[in-house]
Amino acid sequence: MSAGGVSSPALSVQGLHCSLGDKPVLRGLDLQVFPGEILGILGPNGAGKSTLLRCLAGLIPFEGQVEVFGQPLTSQAQRGLPPREIALRVALMHQDTALTSSFPAADVVMMGRYPHQGRFRPESAADRRAVAQAMAFTATEALALQPLDQMSGGERQRVLFAKVLAQQTPVLLLDEPSASLDLSHQQQTFRYAQTLAAEGKTIVAAVHDLRLAARYCTRVVLLAEGRVLAQGTPSEVFTPGNLEAAYGVQVRVYVNPATGQFDFHLRGTDPGLTAPRIHVIGGGGAASAVLRELAEGDFQVSTGVLSPGDSDLYVAGVYDLVSVVSPPFSPLSDTAHADNCRLVREADLVIVGNLVVGAQNLRNLEAAAEARELVLLEDQPMALRDFTGGPGLAAYQKLRSRAVVLPTAGLAAWLTNRNLSQKA
Amino acid sequence: MNTPRLAWWILLPLTLALLGLVLVATAIGSVSVPLGDTAGVILARLGFPAGWLPPPDQKWDAIIFLVRLPRVLGAVVIGAALAVAGTVMQGLLRNPLADPGLIGVSSGAGFGAVLSIALGVAATSAWALPVFASLGSLTAAGIIFVLAIRAGKMGLFTLILAGIAVSTFFGAGTSLVLTFASHDSIAQFLFWSMGNLYNVRWESLGLVILPIGTGVFALLWFTRDLNVLLLGEEEAQAVGVDVFRTRLILLVLVSAVTASAVCISGPISFVGLIVPHILRLLLGPDHRLLVPAAALGGAAFLVICDLVARMALGAQEINVGIVTALVGAPYFLFLLLRSVRRGGTL
Repeated sequence: MSAGGVSSPALSVQGLHCSLGDKPVLRGLDLQVFPGEILGILGPNGAGKSTLLRCLAGLIPFEGQVEVFGQPLTSQAQRGLPPREIALRVALMHQDTALTSSFPAADVVMMGRYPHQGRFRPESAADRRAVAQAMAFTATEALALQPLDQMSGGERQRVLFAKVLAQQTPVLLLDEPSASLDLSHQQQTFRYAQTLAAEGKTIVAAVHDLRLAARYCTRVVLLAEGRVLAQGTPSEVFTPGNLEAAYGVQVRVYVNPATGQFDFHLRGTDPGLTAPRIHVIGGGGAASAVLRELAEGDFQVSTGVLSPGDSDLYVAGVYDLVSVVSPPFSPLSDTAHADNCRLVREADLVIVGNLVVGAQNLRNLEAAAEARELVLLEDQPMALRDFTGGPGLAAYQKLRSRAVVLPTAGLAAWLTNRNLSQKA
Repeated sequence: MNTPRLAWWILLPLTLALLGLVLVATAIGSVSVPLGDTAGVILARLGFPAGWLPPPDQKWDAIIFLVRLPRVLGAVVIGAALAVAGTVMQGLLRNPLADPGLIGVSSGAGFGAVLSIALGVAATSAWALPVFASLGSLTAAGIIFVLAIRAGKMGLFTLILAGIAVSTFFGAGTSLVLTFASHDSIAQFLFWSMGNLYNVRWESLGLVILPIGTGVFALLWFTRDLNVLLLGEEEAQAVGVDVFRTRLILLVLVSAVTASAVCISGPISFVGLIVPHILRLLLGPDHRLLVPAAALGGAAFLVICDLVARMALGAQEINVGIVTALVGAPYFLFLLLRSVRRGGTL
């Protein structure tokens, strides 16, 4: 955080209240934003993200204190900076509105120069330079003569971004800047923001996408019901507890080991103790997809026996599943096996993934024999997956005689038909 | 895109065309005056040294300078005023069918006019009716503004609804006065309400040239604001337009300009609707070009319509308001039907 106390805040908000019509939207919000920051504003629909940005741009009346570089904005109580003075300090890019205009892009971008222009002066060289720069930065030069209402949503978004840049303000407010953009332009927009922040500008962006926010924002603020629920770095704020409090759903948060980026998984409500119990026997990644699917469904899921480093175990960890673990590269320990057997006995259904059988995990098949109801997921015949030289295949054939055999891809449909939850 | 430079290529020929049109319209009439003599009279009166052109026949001086020229220039001034006011209203309300009538100027002028006729003031002085009409205009517009302003804001929707209500009210007032008026008064009002340029003399031109001239000139300084306002209220405010103040200034200027025009000619319909609309189709949305073009185009349109009004039926003149309405109403209907066909609402 650049809130080192050395620089003074670009934006300072205290006790901000704002109502749209009779509906209170912001209810006592405090916030400080410093130059060089990319502050992400997150929160569910209706949390007040857009309203906050509109207050910061002085577009709607509010109560409380909003200061831009130490100067108060207009509020209901007192007359602060006039619109032109605000527009010299703060530029707002609205959420992808139905804003259409038959003006060509170059004219629209030039409108961003309005606060710099005198009423009795024609466009200056500085105006034209700022427009050219902004259009070069957003790669919209080719669209210069094209009317705004004859562009794709993404092109229009970039032109409006150029207009905001042409305003040359130290503070930029971006409301869902990437909402209507494709993947590459989404990234591009936030890279622009990074470049601008590196130049010392202050960026505040309302962001819907938690992943984009986690990747590009130096600091995030989580809003819920018009108040700040949490603020800090993405890793401080994006905890399952905060996200559940804000969005009302259970969210699993983990850092993608390959990209180092945050990933979020929705989980419905907690299945509860009456939900059907399913035990999954996997290993070597054979059960990852199955575990994900079951964990996001309405089941109590357990798995075993797995070894540390197994990607199945990683998935189980993300979803916080009951897992039996045994050290790698050695036969399953007796305690692990006993735990596994207990979970198998307690489960309403046991699923054996399309796993490879070796000497060390042979006992997993042994445990599966105690299942009340058994599903074998078979994408390749066991003969190709047995590395025990016989005993594995034999044990598997024994299980197969009393089990339902499905391809992994067929499990979801089978589960729906089977309707386990009704039994519970 | 360099609109200002491009603008000269459109505005300069338009200006020259208008000057030519003024000359022709002044020359044509119940008695046609040769163009050379017409130009000669005008130039001589403007103080150009003699000898440029063959000296004009002095018998034309009175008809050209005292009768026709003020009337044609009246058409120029009023046409420009109405078209500029219409352009600004359409831009301000972001609706191609808006016109200054929406802010009550026509109904207010009508009420003022009928009052001055019925009370007999109009008979006492040539200035009475114009002054009453413009006072009525400004009163109606003022009431509408006050009604539309709420908590430092002026909602356009409220403005339109207040405009309808106040216009209806003033219209009813006019009808009420007419109910008790003499037949002569009714005939006089009816004649006024059809819009005409019969009585435009240098004196009446002198009365309105200043308010219309300053109003139109002032509106030219707000064309950039109008462009930005087209993007929407919040977009405009976000780049620093004081939306409330700008709207109020523009509406006050529009009502002053329209009230001045209406006061010497009576209400002339459709000039403020058709001219801006055609120009917008031809020139695009940029008000920096549209507003001056509307001044020239509106002037030319009304000069032509007045020429038709004078000449169409031979000796019998018709009111210019009838001509503009005969041209305007079908065009308005065409716009309406096209808008409906495109699935738009009005």
